[in-house]
Amino acid sequence: MEDDSDYEDSYVASDVEDYPTSEDGDYGYDPQTEPEISMRRAAYTVLSEEELKLRQQEALQQVMQVLSISEGEAVRVLRHCKWDVNRVNEEWFADTEALRDKIGLVDEQPTGSGRRKESCGICFDEFWVSEMHAAPCNHSFCRGCWKGYVHTAISGGPAVLSLRCPLPDCSAAVPAALVTAVSDPKHREKYHLYSLRSFVEDNQRLEWCPAPGCENAVEALHEVSNEAMDVTCRCGSSFCFNCKEEAHRPVDCETVKKWIIKNSAESENLNWILANTKPCPKCKRPIEKNQGCMHMSCSQCKHEFCWLCLASWQEHGERTGGFYNCNKYESAKKRGDYDAESLKREHARVSLQRYMHYYQRWAENDRARSQALSSKAEANDKKLEVLSEFVATPTSQLKFILDAWAQVVECRRILKWTYAYGYYRFGDNIPDEDTAQKQQQGFFEFNQGQAEMFLEKLNGVVEKDLDNLVEEFKREPGLSEVAPDGSVFVDQASSPERQAVWSKFREQLIGLTEVTRMHFVKLVQELEKGLDQLLAFYSEQPEAEAEAEVEPAAVSTAEASGSATPAQQATAKAPKRSKRSRISSRAAADKASNSAAAFSLQEADSELEAEAGYWQCRRCTVINRDLNSQSCSMCAQNRRGPISAS
Amino acid sequence: MSGGVAKTRLTEERKAWRKDKPFGFHARPEQAADGGVNLMVWKCHIPGRPGSDWEGGFFPMTMHFSEDYPSKPPKCKFPAAFFHPNIYPSGTVCLSILNEEEGWRPSITVKQIMLGIQELLGDPNPSSPAQSDAFLLFTQNRTEYSRRVRAQALIYPPPS
Repeated sequence: MEDDSDYEDSYVASDVEDYPTSEDGDYGYDPQTEPEISMRRAAYTVLSEEELKLRQQEALQQVMQVLSISEGEAVRVLRHCKWDVNRVNEEWFADTEALRDKIGLVDEQPTGSGRRKESCGICFDEFWVSEMHAAPCNHSFCRGCWKGYVHTAISGGPAVLSLRCPLPDCSAAVPAALVTAVSDPKHREKYHLYSLRSFVEDNQRLEWCPAPGCENAVEALHEVSNEAMDVTCRCGSSFCFNCKEEAHRPVDCETVKKWIIKNSAESENLNWILANTKPCPKCKRPIEKNQGCMHMSCSQCKHEFCWLCLASWQEHGERTGGFYNCNKYESAKKRGDYDAESLKREHARVSLQRYMHYYQRWAENDRARSQALSSKAEANDKKLEVLSEFVATPTSQLKFILDAWAQVVECRRILKWTYAYGYYRFGDNIPDEDTAQKQQQGFFEFNQGQAEMFLEKLNGVVEKDLDNLVEEFKREPGLSEVAPDGSVFVDQASSPERQAVWSKFREQLIGLTEVTRMHFVKLVQELEKGLDQLLAFYSEQPEAEAEAEVEPAAVSTAEASGSATPAQQATAKAPKRSKRSRISSRAAADKASNSAAAFSLQEADSELEAEAGYWQCRRCTVINRDLNSQSCSMCAQNRRGPISAS
Repeated sequence: MSGGVAKTRLTEERKAWRKDKPFGFHARPEQAADGGVNLMVWKCHIPGRPGSDWEGGFFPMTMHFSEDYPSKPPKCKFPAAFFHPNIYPSGTVCLSILNEEEGWRPSITVKQIMLGIQELLGDPNPSSPAQSDAFLLFTQNRTEYSRRVRAQALIYPPPS
């Protein structure tokens, strides 16, 4: 199916796209100032191979000192305890003997004099004892046989890390020192690699970055839970620490897994076939009817039949209702003969359509994200320098453009996953009587729509508007206008007109980035808290408060115009309105706009706003400094009018 | 490790086997086409343990050693379709000490392998079935299982 291949392409592309971003070095990794909003503020660090080795050594030293054991033994103990130093101490001091037994630590056995010959237990040849090697159990084998044993084990994979003595029934662990002493450099390197990998793979707090070619690991700095946790590696790729898929907050790992399987599964193909084709009554090949009349001829077996009743066409003709109708079908349908089958077909078609709806949006946002990533790289590589000359601003101060792009990339990612969320959260057909479910869906879709609208706007401004601006600047070039004789020097770049245009654009873009960020933060928070609780939070409480606020206002308009409601006073005192009070005042205003109290409430609002020196848009929450303007500078929402949906 | 190790070890194994061979067992390298011996393939016979259903049988088995021996275990094969829960339809023996990933150690000798297999015959391991026929009878119909084992023992009488 075509969509499947599309999916494959886009998936691979997004995987690859994650890399080139590692080039934007000055956009370096720093979890504290990371502009992406959805990063859970969970603490984590990225460790390179060198740092990992250092960590491993630290853990080893610690265990060696506390337990007074050799390095070889410490490796075994730590490996057994998943490189958790605390667990090592617990298990060791709880039952030292049992632990030593389990992992094959034996006390060093006395070695005899080296000045005699002994037979090697593997090749049965005689060797000087001084030339033979043994694990602490002192079962000696010749060097050649040890080498063969160790090499075979290394080729066999990481299990070599728990290699035991070659003697059957002897469980003594072969120390790393012996392995490295008898192996050749190639195998030795592989052994060390396994050892390092074990450090990361056995350790619950460490995960390799899944990006191909990246050798960093990410360390969680707190207890690891089974929840989704987005992390960004130094190489630029973001992934979920828990499930290793690409970063997908606010959607949980389970949904992501289901969605990915669904996208790759053949099940949708079958669904499509079931929904859109009927099998030829003779040869049973599926046939899709995409045009024409009901008289079908199978392209494979040449059988002629009626599309509606699937009976042979020989029984049809003018008397059965002509080419576009079938009396047989109509009468059979009346009898209910086709209901079950057509219902099934209809159901399959609806559910497929629903899936396609979500899938297309998911894939579209995925593609858009890849594009945004390359646009960001392009902006960083080329556009900023050009722009910097046009507006006489150093590139370091144009970083807000990159921030906007980073925001677009991040939002695309979140938006993409909200479609997977929506697909699973709300079933095929929500029955009309399930109002809670319907309400939740409406609520979710409204917020998704809001977030999407701002994202589209931001995307447009940072892409099209910026390009247009640059084109405009190009037509009236700046610093390059220097006549050879040096007579005319027009510094267009720093002309007040251009600076004004530029600073307006700059303000708009920064504001829009922030507003978009806010919307997505809200969306992420809502989905993570769960829609049930949120809906209760939004619908019940503010409702009650709103009643309380509006009623006194409605009773005495004169009083209301003089003094604001308690909630509004509170908001006036705190310029940063809390979410709840904002909602309540919004709810109040909405209710009031339909009543006689609307006018006086608006007056009260105006006074408060005059006091604060700004008015806050009720839809996009942007702070508008122009007290005379009646529409929001960001989203054009009417200052007093009802909130428009888009 | 060169192929020489396998040859030297097998020469030593053969010497040791001649010196100390358990009663009733036979094992010797195969006759090569040119009349010499092929140390890499051994023809063996394992007697059924006295007192068990296997008693009286004298079961033919072949050991195939690879160039990686003794780092890797030899492959031990009974005739195809041999009746035993832990022997594959091809005749290959499934035994932990013959599994590289499990219990194989380079110092396990031919003698230990042979004794191990004799023990496996009378004492199958139901947790790693290798054929359904014998496994189902062994777990569900022990009488029929014993009958089949005794019948098989009759097919392989001791060499006279």
